[in-house]
Amino acid sequence: MAYKPQYYPGNTSVAKNRRKHMSDDVEKMRDISDEDLTALLGHRAPGSDYPSTHPPLAEMGEPDCPVREVVEPTPGAAAGDRIRYAQFSDSMYNGPSVPYWRSYHCAINFRGVDPGTLSGRQVNEMRERDLEEYTKRQAETEMTDWGLAGLRGCTVHGHSLRLQEDGTMFDMLDRRRLEGGVMVMDKDQVGVPIDRKVNLGKPMSESEAAKRTTIYRVDNVSFRSDKEVVEHVQKVWELRTKYGFVPKA
Amino acid sequence: MVRAAKVSDKLKQIRIFPQRLLLPETAEKLLNEIDSVKGVVRMLISGKNLPRTITCGPGTGKDVNHPDRIIIHVSGCAFELHVIVGEVLVEVDNESAVEELKKACERALPFSFELKRGYFIKTKATLTDYGKYGFKSKFDETINLEDERMLGMVDPHAKLETNLCMVRAGENV
Repeated sequence: MAYKPQYYPGNTSVAKNRRKHMSDDVEKMRDISDEDLTALLGHRAPGSDYPSTHPPLAEMGEPDCPVREVVEPTPGAAAGDRIRYAQFSDSMYNGPSVPYWRSYHCAINFRGVDPGTLSGRQVNEMRERDLEEYTKRQAETEMTDWGLAGLRGCTVHGHSLRLQEDGTMFDMLDRRRLEGGVMVMDKDQVGVPIDRKVNLGKPMSESEAAKRTTIYRVDNVSFRSDKEVVEHVQKVWELRTKYGFVPKA
Repeated sequence: MVRAAKVSDKLKQIRIFPQRLLLPETAEKLLNEIDSVKGVVRMLISGKNLPRTITCGPGTGKDVNHPDRIIIHVSGCAFELHVIVGEVLVEVDNESAVEELKKACERALPFSFELKRGYFIKTKATLTDYGKYGFKSKFDETINLEDERMLGMVDPHAKLETNLCMVRAGENV
């Protein structure tokens, strides 16, 4: 029988969503063009060539190395792209993805990644063209609700704040906002104005966000309501504690 | 000595904590409703900063132009919102004003809110205040403030002029 990865225990909607994010079985909800995404990231001008930090690997004449022979480089690494970053901030008010699940999604489904997981934001460093592919995946799918999340390279404040009156997460630099029922973004991730207004689609309704979220909340799906998850977490804690003491038996 | 106005221990302080961060229009409506309640001595708004320019990262120095950083009018007095209003602290001088305050909030806020009693704004000068304002004179070691209601209304390092709005300043408690 073929091996089927078991990503996460539990039977609640949150546990199921967590499994979906980890396995990349996520629903596409909107289209964001490559040029728009490049503008939002702000690392290079849309349409321009990828700046490189070293010549393409094929031209470099790599040393003999069995690992290099086995591991195929990512397109970004093969072309010698720069390392660049994308950072998402997600609201704790039923934001669809929470930082750990962005990291899991990235680390499991993409290669050449360096995810950084913090309490209210998740930053990921990759080769530039790999990064664009990864960001597009997260930005276009149910992993991101642009009302409850934001692409924020700096001044990420908003994750733990109450929502604004219009139901969106606060953004101190006003990078994206609700206009005419859709989220629009006219600044890049560090707040520098860009030459376009990118339509990020309709934000999720409260009930839809509650259905798609990966965060356990007492006012939605509480952590303790999922016995299998609690059991799993307790088992992990028990084992790591015992391992810390290096028991003889 | 006689002071123009002072705060007393009999005043009651209330914290209004809405379920959502307020739009400027709602904040303006709420503040005007609170101001119309008889017995309000002072109120203090707080929330998350709305910076005029970007203060960190590659975009440092660029204008933010946040749409919520606008001028609002409270009781005929205009001032610019520097924050997205998250809570309002109100000091009242009698018990009946608390109930009126609750009704005012119900009229202004389209969602739920918390009303909590407590001690939120300081009523006595601390060392920091003496450091900022100094003594009255060599012989009078009271704080050098004409109106003690200003105590605790702004951060010690902030400027009074840009952060404080005096409405009907002549009416002392």
